[in-house]
Amino acid sequence: MYILPKADVPRLLDAIAARYELFGPVVDPISGDTLFDRASAPSAVRLDAPIPVNTPKFSVFPHFERILTYRYDRASKALDIRREDLVRPKALVGVRSCDLTGLLCFDRFFLGQEFVDEVYRDHRRKMLIVANTCVRPFAQCFCVCTDSGPAAVEGFDVNLTDLGEAFLFETGSDKGRGLASELGLAPAGEHAARDRAAVVNRSIGLFDGQAVENKAWISRAVNRLTTGFVKPETWEYIGQQCFECGACSFVCPSCSCFNVQDAATQAGPTDRLRTWDSCSFEGYSRMAGEHNPRRPIEDRRNKRFFCKLSYSQSKKYLRPGCVGCGRCARVCPGDIGLPNVVTAIRREITEPKP
Amino acid sequence: MNEPNPAVITTVPTPAVIEEIRPEIEDVRTCYFRFEDPEIEKSFAVRSGQFVMCTVFGAGEFAVSLPWSPEGDRRHLSVRAVGKVTGALARLAPGDKIGIRGPFGNGFPFEAIKGKNIIYVAGGIGIIPLRSSIVHVLLHRPEFGRLILLYGARAPQDLMYRDKIEEWRRTEGFETHITIDRPRPGWTGETGFVHTLIEKAKVPVENTVAFVCGPPIMFNAVIKELSARGLRDDCIISTLERHMKCGIGKCQHCAIGRTLVCTDGPVFTYKQIKTLGEQI
Amino acid sequence: MSYHSGVCNFCGTGCGHLLMVENGTVRGVFPSPGHPVSRGRLCVRGWHIHELLATEERLARPLRRGPNGFESVSWDEALEGAAAELRRFRPDEIGVWASPRASNEDVFTAVRLARAVLRTPHIDLLSDAWYSSTAEVLREGTGWPGSLGTLADVRAADFLFVVGTDLTRQNPIVASELHFAAKAGADLVTLSSRTTQMARLSRTHLRPAPGAKKAVLAAMLKLLLDEGLADPDFAAGRIEGTEAVRLSLRDVDLAGLEKAAGLTADGLRDLVRRLAKAERAMAFFSSGTTGLGRDTVALIYNLFLAAGKIGRPGCGLVPVVGISNLAGANDMGAAPGRLPGWRRLPDPAAEAAVRSAWGEAAAVTPGRRIDDLLRDPAKPLRALVVMDHDEEINLHAEALKKLDFVLYLGAYDNPFIEFAHVVLPAATYAETDGTYTNTERRIQLVRRKTEPRFEARPAWRILTGLAVRLGASWGYDSPEAVFADIARAVPMYAGADYARLEAGVGGLAWPVDAAHPRGTARYERSAADPAPRAVPLREPLAGTAPAAADYPFRLMAGKSYFYWHQNNIMKRTFIPLREYNALLLLYPQGLVDVHPDDAARLGLRDKRPVRVVSAAGTMTVQARVTSDVLPGMVYAPYFIGPMIEGFLRPEAGAVERGEDAVIPVRLEKV
Repeated sequence: MYILPKADVPRLLDAIAARYELFGPVVDPISGDTLFDRASAPSAVRLDAPIPVNTPKFSVFPHFERILTYRYDRASKALDIRREDLVRPKALVGVRSCDLTGLLCFDRFFLGQEFVDEVYRDHRRKMLIVANTCVRPFAQCFCVCTDSGPAAVEGFDVNLTDLGEAFLFETGSDKGRGLASELGLAPAGEHAARDRAAVVNRSIGLFDGQAVENKAWISRAVNRLTTGFVKPETWEYIGQQCFECGACSFVCPSCSCFNVQDAATQAGPTDRLRTWDSCSFEGYSRMAGEHNPRRPIEDRRNKRFFCKLSYSQSKKYLRPGCVGCGRCARVCPGDIGLPNVVTAIRREITEPKP
Repeated sequence: MNEPNPAVITTVPTPAVIEEIRPEIEDVRTCYFRFEDPEIEKSFAVRSGQFVMCTVFGAGEFAVSLPWSPEGDRRHLSVRAVGKVTGALARLAPGDKIGIRGPFGNGFPFEAIKGKNIIYVAGGIGIIPLRSSIVHVLLHRPEFGRLILLYGARAPQDLMYRDKIEEWRRTEGFETHITIDRPRPGWTGETGFVHTLIEKAKVPVENTVAFVCGPPIMFNAVIKELSARGLRDDCIISTLERHMKCGIGKCQHCAIGRTLVCTDGPVFTYKQIKTLGEQI
Repeated sequence: MSYHSGVCNFCGTGCGHLLMVENGTVRGVFPSPGHPVSRGRLCVRGWHIHELLATEERLARPLRRGPNGFESVSWDEALEGAAAELRRFRPDEIGVWASPRASNEDVFTAVRLARAVLRTPHIDLLSDAWYSSTAEVLREGTGWPGSLGTLADVRAADFLFVVGTDLTRQNPIVASELHFAAKAGADLVTLSSRTTQMARLSRTHLRPAPGAKKAVLAAMLKLLLDEGLADPDFAAGRIEGTEAVRLSLRDVDLAGLEKAAGLTADGLRDLVRRLAKAERAMAFFSSGTTGLGRDTVALIYNLFLAAGKIGRPGCGLVPVVGISNLAGANDMGAAPGRLPGWRRLPDPAAEAAVRSAWGEAAAVTPGRRIDDLLRDPAKPLRALVVMDHDEEINLHAEALKKLDFVLYLGAYDNPFIEFAHVVLPAATYAETDGTYTNTERRIQLVRRKTEPRFEARPAWRILTGLAVRLGASWGYDSPEAVFADIARAVPMYAGADYARLEAGVGGLAWPVDAAHPRGTARYERSAADPAPRAVPLREPLAGTAPAAADYPFRLMAGKSYFYWHQNNIMKRTFIPLREYNALLLLYPQGLVDVHPDDAARLGLRDKRPVRVVSAAGTMTVQARVTSDVLPGMVYAPYFIGPMIEGFLRPEAGAVERGEDAVIPVRLEKV
């Protein structure tokens, strides 16, 4: 562990930007929203900004991405297929622990199953991750219930914790240690671990008045979901409020469903595009020939919450899919973000109707 | 970081040339193809029951079950033109190129069913994935018991692989029963839905597995008939079709509950299918 | 940064979003939590607007029809050619059809081109069946031609009244506000013949027979007066127009309504009590192509006026606009009967002002609606300038083919170009600056995110270039310069400029003027303001006519979630298009909703064909059997090719009556 004086943050960002494509929290000048975004300059990265409204997942899993481009000339039968060139390694700076946990779910899912997703692997390759301990949760946050915050415990090269005058600079890899020595950071004193714990504890303390229902009931919800005991009426109640916008999937750090589409360009080649998708859409599982195995909206909702909370899905991620960031609750037009789903399940347990 | 499995083409479609196209039935064509790269042509190995992702350049990609058997069979795909991409495939001609990724999926469990009687029950184009299994089993005929094919289609012109079926009819030790839904002028064979053949063919139940493939109504009727005769759910094998975008377990379009048809299937026993928790 | 803040351009809600731009193209979108309207939400369309902005299915370069079809020409050639063609016609032989999706600047230049340069009064707006008449009702009552309320008040409201269309489909984020309010305890009431998601989310769902909406609203108003719940000024007739409204209510037949509409007088009485008691009450109704008729809107207005909810803090009527700039385009004067700023002709002062700004020869007489002209054989239109039109044009295909010259101007490939002689590629809203006015009068400035793709140019620039070639000189070198003229011509925009609009996120709601430099959220009556008036009905209240024996069903025409803007825009996306197709996969021949009882009686089954026969047209579609519709009712969520040919075109007159339209039909099993 080292100490990074706040005055040295620009040096850190410059050093990273020299070798990586730099992503971090930046503030949109018009709306005032904090976004996790590609930084136009190292100085644009704001480690003190609120939690970004979006997740860094777009940097490894873009909203809309060309994964191939090809040109086929039927007359001459000439065919030319190209993959996108390997991108410059990326650095994600100021990643919150919930989002980092989502990234680790992605790693296990895209890289750790029978097949490796080469598109994801190329984005993820040689990546540098600098985490930032959360000191101010949002009202919808509940990472303390899903074992994913407020401080990161794995998956980072560097983990920063704001100690007031300076950041505690914790290294998690050779890359991180290399950065510390390159910047000539002083080792942290013996109080560092205790100071860090105090910051994390203060942050956890801020959850006292929030996520109350989640803290008490999320494990029961996990149980009920896994065993299929959630009542059809509960899914119906949730389904009725679903506006089918897909937002919950798009903002979720661990949602990775995608669509693939070939689209001709005016210049000649055809692009193979990979785009975000959501299992809440009716057309998502449709099949040619009039057959859609998953029709009612309740079923489709059910599918997503199953993915976030069930044991069987957890086996793929080696943890629950939900990372407690609360973003689904912030963007849902129907007010059925995951915390409210937990509440609905709690109600069927504690307020049974005759 | 993990590296991809080199034996399977996962991301970039590999060019293949259509050598020949044969019309099968209305809207269904069989395309024979070879890989452009002789190395891949040599190394591309499939298991019966798997599927590939086929790119029609300029249109898109679709998942398709393999009708060919890894041994002694020509590489081909039999595809019904139902959507934008399969419709575009239907407009290609010999010499045109397509792209192939794969092979993906588990394949049929031949080791586990050695020594058993096998009943194939197919409806319409449900014969396509079963063709591969039949060719394999006939090549290894002594390893299996009684061999029965029950195949039904709407009308005589809806029967797939007519040459092959003719060949199978003449194959010794292969009991074939072909039916069409309703009597038609000139048709001298069986009539009625395919599940009615189960009774007529006096199919065995002991030490028997059934491969069943076809549209949902036919599938359900056949299962009902087989179960009534006492065939256990884990002795009924089918292959599922789902909308797929990747083939490698990532896009999740083919998820049925926690099961992915692309990597956990597409071959399942009926016992497994029943626990999937969604409509088939 | 890759994300840049802006405003969604799909519907009239005006949600804030952040567009992600990489290498000059839009590659993603994210909702903006800081935006005052949408507060971090987008609907399925908004979440995929980048697919539309990234599509390669664009009009790429100017085209001119030659002997062998279209040929690419330079911008100069195209504009010169178009100008030369347009000079061949008399002014009143030319029509200009502006787009409700285009920015205020684009529409304003189109209006100016029509009236000042082409000198034709035939300037009109596409897809504007009901916004004009709705806003006119509100203006007649209050002087405000637009929403009387603000979406910011929804969550604090006690009583929320939704009339007609399914807001969860049409303007989902507006519906979301209502849903949140209802969850927090607001009394949410929906009046709709169909069981929509909005209805399911409501505490009370009034479900009248198709066509009985007006009768129900009149009954509510009568009950409010009879029960002594009305505002004392209204009850005592101290409000102008009250007497005429009262006279119309003589025809209210409660008993008949109970029978015909399946509602009880007690239920309605309870409802008007709840309305009267509410401190803060708001009403929402659709006002675009699926809008309500003039008198229906007048009844909603009078009901709220009588209940004392007009001009009171936290109250308001919101005509919900389905297309991004339908409201703004109307403000700009894209209407044959008005000059910019809602000045209805004749209006000598406004005429003089326009002549002095745009030249003495400017056409300041009232013109005619373009679809009227297209239908009228005696008034042959010979040339048409069209912006960004959708495919509903199918309705006028024959008349369009007969035109001598059609100039089409738009961003996306569109079937309309079949009728065009010159095609000019326009920039998308993300490729130029522009302002858009949402459903609650909020004028929002959207900045350019990328350069125009291919050879496209912003519409304001194309129209300015055309005007120059026709001899005018406007001096517009930027949208900001156009907006400065808008502020001069449109009184409600008088105090707005780009700097002020951009000072805070979410823009400013008109009126923005010297008295309201920071805009005006809602119509609030102060002692100094003239009192609101009652708005008399134009037509007598007819009872619900019993269904004719030959045509016992009542067919309502609607729009489904994904078949939006006639689908021409949706067709350029991937996911929304797939979702639209998902239903079409199940019902490839198109569908109508039929109640299970009717289906059982007629032997109709889900997905099986059914013939729908009206006095004028016939279509064979598939039945979707659902109790979302009432017995005796048929609902067509949208129309696809053969349905338009055989049924919609002959019934066009009826369908243009908007949400109130009911076509008597019979169903035949096929």
